[in-house]
Amino acid sequence: MKDYEFFIDQSRCIGCQACVQACGECDTHRGTPMIHLEYVHRPTGVQTAPVVCMHCEDPTCAKVCPADAIKQDDHGVVMSAAKPRCVSCSNCVIGCPFGVPKMQVSFELMMKCDMCYDRTSVDKKPMCATVCPSEALYYGPRDYIEKHRRETPVNEFHFGRQVVRTKVNMMTAPSRGEINVDITQYMSGAEAEIDPMFDARDGAPDAARFAVWEG
Amino acid sequence: MATLTLKSEEAYIDQFGPTLNYTPVGGWDSREPDKMVKTHCCFCGVQCGIQLKVKDNRVIGFEPWEEFPVNRGKLCPKGVKRYMQNEHPDRLKAPLIRSEDGFREGTWEEAYSKTVSEIRRIQQSYGKDSFAFLGGASMTNEKAYLNGKFARIALQTKNIDYNGRLCMVSAGAANKMAFGIDRAANPWSDIPKTDVIILTGTNLAECFPILTDYIWKARDNGAKIIVIDPRITPIGRTADLFLPVRPGRDSALCHGILHVMVKNGWIDEDFISEHTEGWDAVRELVKKYTPEHTEKITGVPAASIIKCAEIWGPAKKSMLLHARGIEHHTKGVENVLSYINLVLSTGRIGQEGSGYGTITGQGNGQGGREHGQRCNQLPGGRDINNPAHRRQVSDFWGINETDLPGEGLTACEIIDAIERGEIKGLLSISFNPLVSIPDTARTRKALEKLEYYGAIDFFLNETARFADVVFAGSLQEEDHGTVTNGEGRCIRLNQSVTPPGDAKLDWEIICELGKRLGQERHFAFTDPGEMFKELTAASKGGPIDYSGMTHERVEREHGLFWPCPAPDHPGTPRLFEGGQFAHADGRAKFHAFEYRPPAEDVDQEYPIFFTTGRVVSQYLSGTQTRRIGSLVDQYPEPLCEMHPILAGKLGIKDRDLVRVATRRGEMTLPAQVVKSIRPDTVFVPYHWSGKKAANQLTNRRLDPISKIPEFKVCACKVEKAGSR
Amino acid sequence: MPSTGVKSAWISGLAASGAVCAGIAIGSRGFAHFDPELIFYAIGSVLTAFAVAFRFTTWSQRPPTRIYLRRGIELLFKGGLRRPAAVATIATADKYVAQNFIRRRSGYRWIMHLCLSGGCTLAFALTFPLVFGWIHFSPLAGDPEIYQVNLFGFAVDRFHIHGLKGALMFNLLNIAAVIVLVGLVMAAIRRVTDAGERATQKFFEDILPLLLIFAVTATGLALTVSYKFLNGAGHHLWVVVHLFSVLALLFYIPFGKLFHMFQRVCSLCVALYKRAGENGPRAFCARCGEDFTSAMHVKDMKGVLDELGFNYRFATPTGEVHYQDICPACRRRLVALNQGASLGR
Repeated sequence: MKDYEFFIDQSRCIGCQACVQACGECDTHRGTPMIHLEYVHRPTGVQTAPVVCMHCEDPTCAKVCPADAIKQDDHGVVMSAAKPRCVSCSNCVIGCPFGVPKMQVSFELMMKCDMCYDRTSVDKKPMCATVCPSEALYYGPRDYIEKHRRETPVNEFHFGRQVVRTKVNMMTAPSRGEINVDITQYMSGAEAEIDPMFDARDGAPDAARFAVWEG
Repeated sequence: MATLTLKSEEAYIDQFGPTLNYTPVGGWDSREPDKMVKTHCCFCGVQCGIQLKVKDNRVIGFEPWEEFPVNRGKLCPKGVKRYMQNEHPDRLKAPLIRSEDGFREGTWEEAYSKTVSEIRRIQQSYGKDSFAFLGGASMTNEKAYLNGKFARIALQTKNIDYNGRLCMVSAGAANKMAFGIDRAANPWSDIPKTDVIILTGTNLAECFPILTDYIWKARDNGAKIIVIDPRITPIGRTADLFLPVRPGRDSALCHGILHVMVKNGWIDEDFISEHTEGWDAVRELVKKYTPEHTEKITGVPAASIIKCAEIWGPAKKSMLLHARGIEHHTKGVENVLSYINLVLSTGRIGQEGSGYGTITGQGNGQGGREHGQRCNQLPGGRDINNPAHRRQVSDFWGINETDLPGEGLTACEIIDAIERGEIKGLLSISFNPLVSIPDTARTRKALEKLEYYGAIDFFLNETARFADVVFAGSLQEEDHGTVTNGEGRCIRLNQSVTPPGDAKLDWEIICELGKRLGQERHFAFTDPGEMFKELTAASKGGPIDYSGMTHERVEREHGLFWPCPAPDHPGTPRLFEGGQFAHADGRAKFHAFEYRPPAEDVDQEYPIFFTTGRVVSQYLSGTQTRRIGSLVDQYPEPLCEMHPILAGKLGIKDRDLVRVATRRGEMTLPAQVVKSIRPDTVFVPYHWSGKKAANQLTNRRLDPISKIPEFKVCACKVEKAGSR
Repeated sequence: MPSTGVKSAWISGLAASGAVCAGIAIGSRGFAHFDPELIFYAIGSVLTAFAVAFRFTTWSQRPPTRIYLRRGIELLFKGGLRRPAAVATIATADKYVAQNFIRRRSGYRWIMHLCLSGGCTLAFALTFPLVFGWIHFSPLAGDPEIYQVNLFGFAVDRFHIHGLKGALMFNLLNIAAVIVLVGLVMAAIRRVTDAGERATQKFFEDILPLLLIFAVTATGLALTVSYKFLNGAGHHLWVVVHLFSVLALLFYIPFGKLFHMFQRVCSLCVALYKRAGENGPRAFCARCGEDFTSAMHVKDMKGVLDELGFNYRFATPTGEVHYQDICPACRRRLVALNQGASLGR
C-alpha cells in the first residue's frame, strides 16, 4: 500500500458527510472530524466541497507556525500540531491556502487531517476515502485513476503568484497541468443578494442554469 | 384502550428517548475488538457490507469491508454511525406493560399471556379478521416469512400487511403487470456499462448514496445522465440534462418523451413485435403529448423534453432507474408503467448494460415483499387469490386450503378499518405508522380506538406509546438471517451480539405467541437457519424461487440473485435475457394510461404543491437514526425548502418560521430558501414525529392498484409565522 | 540574515553560560559554598544554558515567532503596565501552573503532565541551587541536631534534623521523584494503550524524554535506597550513573520535546495578542464579509508571508487582492469552485 496516493475530485461530491462521520472515528482525534465538508453556497445550489489536508510539499502552515509545532514525516505527510508545542495562535488556520487546519479553541490546539496517520501507518486506507460513496475522495494506486477517470490528477495549485505543490492530487481537465485558483469571478461573493431571476449560480455551472423555473 | 397514559411528549422522551448517543459504548479509548463480524448495514435497500467491531458482546465500532462487491467498503453516514444504535440508553431490555403512568416493566409470561388472551377475546367477539398484523421491511427474509405464516396460521386473520406498502408497492405492482415478475431487471453492476441513464423520482445521492459510485462510473465511461425531479438533488446538480418536473405529472412527461421518440423513429419495432404486447395503444396514446402540450402539463420546457428524447431514444445501451418519487402517487402504478413504456419501446432490457429497475428503499424492501408478509401474497411470491398457489402453500404447511385466509386489507386500509371500528386488535413489529402514514391526526385517532395493541420493537417508537404491551425485540445485529437487496441479491446477515437484558429475538417472540395460540408444530423453530430452509422449500416452484439457496452458499458467494431454483444454480443477476419475460406468453406488456392529475391538485385556496422525501442522515421514521447524535446534528430538524421567488412573494426570508397548512393539518417550521426547488413547490423531509411530522399534512388517498398513499404531492398554503 | 541570526544566537548562548557562571561565583560567595563534588553538574548546567539560549534565540528569530514575541512585549508595555501585567500573570498561572488547556484536552493527560512538570520543577528548584552553591545546609555550631539553611551564604531558616521539617527537607527530592514516577507510569500506559498516540509517536520526540526522566528519577531513588537501606552498597556506581543520566537529560532539553517549556512563553504572547485582537479592529473576509480574525493578525501574517518568501497576491481587474484577506471557509469554497469549473461542473 506504500505507493497508494490520495486523489480528490470535489465535483463528484454529493455532500453526504460519510467522510465527516467516518473521520470522527479515527483514533488520533476521536469523535472530532478533521475533514471539512460544506455547501459552497446553499441558497443557490447543492454543490459541496470536501476538503482534506493537501499535504503541501512546502507547507505554509508549518512555515508560519511560531512554535515549530507542525512537522512533516518522511513521506511528506504534514502532521497535526504537536500537542506540547502548539500555542493556538491560529497562524496556520488563516495561512493555509486550502483552509484546512481547525483550531480547537478550548484545547488551545490546532488539529487537522493527518491522512489518518493511525491507519495509513499500519497499511490501512484513510477512513474518509474508504467510505466515500462517490469516490470524490479516493485513496489507491495511480493506475486505477489513469485507467478509469477522464480527468487528470494534478498536484500543483496557483494562488495568484504563489505556486503550491502538494502530496494529494486533485482531478482537473486533461489539458491542464495545474489548478489555477481564480478569485476574480467569484468575488461578488456569497453575501450578494440572490436574484431569483438570474439563474447563474454562485459558482460552477449546474443543472439549475438549464432548468427553467416558471414563477 | 390504547390512549396515552403519560401526560406529555416530554414525559415520553424523558423515559424512552430519543436520547442522542454520541460516543461508542465504553468510550473512545481502548477500542480493540474481540472480534470483527462481517455483516451488513441495517439501513436502506443497498445493504452495504460492513464489519462490526465487537467487544464484550457489545458493538463498539466498525471497519469498512472492502471485499463485499456491492459497496466495496463504501458507506454513507448512516452506515458509518449505525453501530451507535447498539447498547443505546433507550434500548428496551424487558417487556413493557401499559400502566396508569406510562409503562411498567413486566415479565415475558405476563406479556405473552395478556396478548394471547386479548387475541382470543377480540377474535371470539368480533371475528378472526378483527385482529390485524402489521410487519415491516427492515426485517430479515426469515422474519418476513414467519410473520406471514403467523398471521395465516396462528392468528388466522386475512389482515396482515407491512410498511413496504408505503414504499415500493407501486413499482412491484407495475413490474408484475409489465414483466410478470417483481424484481429489478439488472444487477447494479450493469449501471457503469451503459450509455444513458435516466434517474427519475430518485434522490439517489441521499437515499442510496452508495449507488452514486455506479452512476459516476457510468459517466467516467462516457454515459449521459438525465435526472427528472422537482428539486435539484446532489445527483442532479451535474447531470447532463435536468428536467424539473412539476409534482404529480410524471406519466405525462413520459408520454411527451415517447411522443418525440415515435416521431423520430427511435423505436425498436422488431423487439416490440417479437417480445411485447400492447404497443399500438401506447403509440396512439402519446400522439397528443406533443412537447408543447407536455410542457403545459409538466412545467418541463419543450426543448428539454425533445433533448431528453434525443439522448435516450437513439442510445445503444441504457438504464432507467426510479424510486419513490414516481411511485408515491395515487397513480404510482401508472407512472411506473409509463416509464416502463420508455424502456420497452427501445428494446433495451435484459442485456448487459441495458435495463431497468426500481431502487428499493427499505433495508429488506425487496425480500420483505417476497415471502408472504403482504395481504395478497403467499410464500415464494405466490398470489393468495390463485387457487393453485393457495393449494401449494396449504399443502406445504399441512393445513386445509379452506383454513387459509384470503386477501386482506393493505396497511393504510388497516389503519382506516381500525378508525372505523372494524379492526379491534393489532400486533405490529418494526413499524411506526404514526410517523410514516399520511394524515397523522387520523392515525392517532385510530390508535386510540384499538381495544388491544401489542408492539414488538427494540426502541419505543412513537406508535408503540399507544401499545398495551411492548415486547422488547431485537436489533439487526443481534440476530442472523438473510435479506434481499434492491438488485435482488439475497445476502447473509451475521449475528454480532446477543440481545441485552431480557430482550428477545423477534422470531422467538412470534414463535412463542404462535405456540400459545395452539400451533406448536408450525412454530417450533430454534434458529433462523431452520426458517430459511423452510422458506426456500416453500418458495420452490413459485414465482420467487429461493430453493437453491442455503445460508452457507449465500455467505460464501457474497449473495445470490433469485430465481435460484437448484443448489447448483448460479442465481440470476439479470432478468429477461433474450427478451424472455415472466408472463405466461413470455411477452412484456405495454400499458396505455392517460395522464390524470393527482388526487389533490393546487387551487386558489391551497396554491402550492407540497412534497416530501428523505435526507441522507436519517432513515424512514427515524426510530433508529433520531437516536444517534452525530446523525441528528447533520440535519437536526425538518426545514421547509422553498424557492426565493415563492419566498419573495410570501415575504419569507431564509430561516424564518413558516406555517405550512393542508386540508389535513398544519405545521410550523423554519424555511430554507434555496434555488434548487421549483418555485411552485415546497419540500419537507418526513423523518420526525409529533409537531415536526410532515405526514400531518400529506394525503392518504391511495393508488387503486398498489394502495400506496400519495406522499409526493398534495396542495398546501404557506405563510410566514415569525422570525427566529 | 542567517549570519546575524547565528551571531546573536552565539552571543545569547555565551551570555547565558556566562550568567550561570557568574551566578555560581556570586551565589556561592566566591565558590566558598560550592561543592566540588558537584562540578560536573555545574559544567553540564553551563553547557545546557548555552544550548538553550542558542536554540531559543534562533527560534525567536523565525519571522512568525519574532512577530509574536515582539507584539507580546509591545502589548505588555502598552498603555500602562498594570493591565497587561495582570493578563500576563493570569496567563502564566493558567498555562504554566494550572495547565488548564491540557485539562480541557484530557483529564488523564492533565494529571499526568502536572505530575511530570510539577515533580521535575520541584526537583530542579532544589538541585540547581544546591549545585550552584546557592543553598547549603550547615549544622548549628551549638547543636548538631539543628541544621541551618543558608541562601547565598545568608542564614534564612533552620530545622531539627529529626523534626518534620527536617524529614521534609531531606526527602524533598524523593517526594519529587515519586510524583514524577506517577506521571511516568501514566505516560507509559498512554504510550502503550492509546491507539492514536501509538500511531504518531516518535522515539526521539516522545519516548526518549520519558526514558531520560525515568533514568534520572530511578537512579536518584537508587542513591537514597543505597545509603538508607543498603549501607551505601553500590553508592559510588549509582552516583556515576545518576550523573550521566542527569547530563543526558540536560543536554536533551534544548534539542527535543522538552524545549516546549521555553516555547510556551510564546503562548503568553499569543494570549495578549488575541486579547488585543478581540478588542481591536477586525478583519472581514473580502469575499463573504465574515469576521474571521483580527485586522492586526492579517496584517502581521502578510508581513510574515513576505519574509518567508510566499506571495499569495492576485492581480484582479479591480486591483491587487491578497489571499490573506479571504477567510479559510471561502478558500475552501474557491478551490472547489475552480476545480468544478475546470471540469464544467
